[in-house]
Amino acid sequence: MNFKSFSIIGLIYFSLISISSSLVIGSDENEILIDANFSGKDLLVFGAFYADPSQPREKKGDILIEVVGPKEDIVLRKKESFFGFWLNSESVRFKDVPSFYYLSSTSELKDSFFKENSIGLLETSQFPELNWSLITTDWGSVSSYDEKQEFFEALIRNKSYENVFKKTSDEIEILDGNLFKTNIPIPNTVPVGVYDVNLYLILNNEISKDYSYNFTVKRIGIENLIYNFANSFPLIYGFTSLIIALIIGWISADLFRRFRKA
Amino acid sequence: MSIYLPIAEISINIFLLISLGGVIGFLSGMFGLGGGFLMTPMLIFIGIPTNVAVATSANQIVAASVSGTLGHWRQGLVDIKMGIILVSGGILGSFVGVSIFDYLSDIGQIDAVISVLYFVLLFSIGSLMLIESSQVIRDRIRKKTVKKKLHYHNWAHRLPFKTKFYTSKLYISVIPPIIIGFVIGILSGTMGIGGSFILIPAMIYFLGMPTSKVIGTSLFQIIFITAVVTLLHATTTFALDAVLAVILIISSVVGAQIGVITANKLRGEDLRALLAIIVLVVAAQIAAELFIQPDDLFNFSHMANYK
Repeated sequence: MNFKSFSIIGLIYFSLISISSSLVIGSDENEILIDANFSGKDLLVFGAFYADPSQPREKKGDILIEVVGPKEDIVLRKKESFFGFWLNSESVRFKDVPSFYYLSSTSELKDSFFKENSIGLLETSQFPELNWSLITTDWGSVSSYDEKQEFFEALIRNKSYENVFKKTSDEIEILDGNLFKTNIPIPNTVPVGVYDVNLYLILNNEISKDYSYNFTVKRIGIENLIYNFANSFPLIYGFTSLIIALIIGWISADLFRRFRKA
Repeated sequence: MSIYLPIAEISINIFLLISLGGVIGFLSGMFGLGGGFLMTPMLIFIGIPTNVAVATSANQIVAASVSGTLGHWRQGLVDIKMGIILVSGGILGSFVGVSIFDYLSDIGQIDAVISVLYFVLLFSIGSLMLIESSQVIRDRIRKKTVKKKLHYHNWAHRLPFKTKFYTSKLYISVIPPIIIGFVIGILSGTMGIGGSFILIPAMIYFLGMPTSKVIGTSLFQIIFITAVVTLLHATTTFALDAVLAVILIISSVVGAQIGVITANKLRGEDLRALLAIIVLVVAAQIAAELFIQPDDLFNFSHMANYK
């Protein structure tokens, strides 16, 4: 916390000496805790930006917020019809895919901007080469360019269904011309780990200021205990579950027998 | 109010889970079945991953069958010797079943195979029960009484390694019960079911066991098979969700007791006709998912989930 407050003060100081533009972040949420009642959470990101004051308000620049979740490995499968049954056939393995990807801006930004600055994951149809180089892919039996493209698009589409990939340009609220605020919905399906938040102030299609911080999603309490126990001591965990089942079964049979006799 | 399931890694409405456990417990108490063959597809239907549904159902059935066995045991309706022989075949079968499950998960066909198996199973059971119960209802309306054969003599009586089963008053080979146990074990490992709806007719028709001893003995063997399956899933697929299991166990044992009380007030054949219709509806639901072209041909899974 100290380091963060310090860096915010630093930013404000820095903004005073560079008169042209500035970006200050006020968000301080650095943990999202998964407990028994966790059903997703809205992450609040807010701050202030100060662009060229001589320009009219709508030309003061854009805010772009990018949230990138921990990497994960995914198998994407395509269904085909075999004698009327829809079964999985071809499969592709993607390694190091962000488990969560959210891109939000104050206005619709040009594709060329994303390409030049290597930001964005959702632009595959226009720029197949963009950022996909970061992802290791095992294509299996898939070989043609069109088919690969189809798999890329399907990955993003399926991730979007689960609300873990999203691109939006109308969810950042601007208050009083210089303050911005947005709620980023984190669904309950997200994995634990470190999430990077990157903020950019964009003037004339170029990044003028940027700021990054991160937050951690972690399990706590009984959820964490059970998960760790199940993975570290699977045999003891299995036996414990069995014993619980035996006890409840036994007690219920006994309880209801007395209940019916009475 | 929703609850986060630590292994399934999703949060789900707790009242939905309680009512699901309660209704399936009620049905299993009413019809004297384990209920796993309804529990697993319903869990998948409400969004629980297939591997978690299978592993957790097995754990839930342990509780349900312990509860059921005790009642039959007190009345001396469990053939322990037959049960132990069935279990010995069943444990081997459950190892095979869980390996099959693990292999199918790896090649990405587990969902399809489980759906096909469930469809075949539910459709055939539902149809047979509907035919049988409607015949009984028809005979009742016509006031006919049907004579039943008391004892069956078939190939099970001609195999070697014959032994005496005093409780069941049988003298047959140990090979058929081992084979039957083995098959049930495989089904239990791959599908998360106890298998009583296959075991009960097999014990009556193949082994010639008296009907009164069959239910208690089948419940007795299911405790052990589903216990082994639970342990194997906990250690190989890491898919057993203890939180989900506890919610389902408590709600289903309560439901089961209410089911037993209700069953005493209704006629057996009416009950079976009712269950047959429920089973066929679930089968139709599964068939629709298999045969109708999905909205999106692509689907993904996390690799870490299976290893």
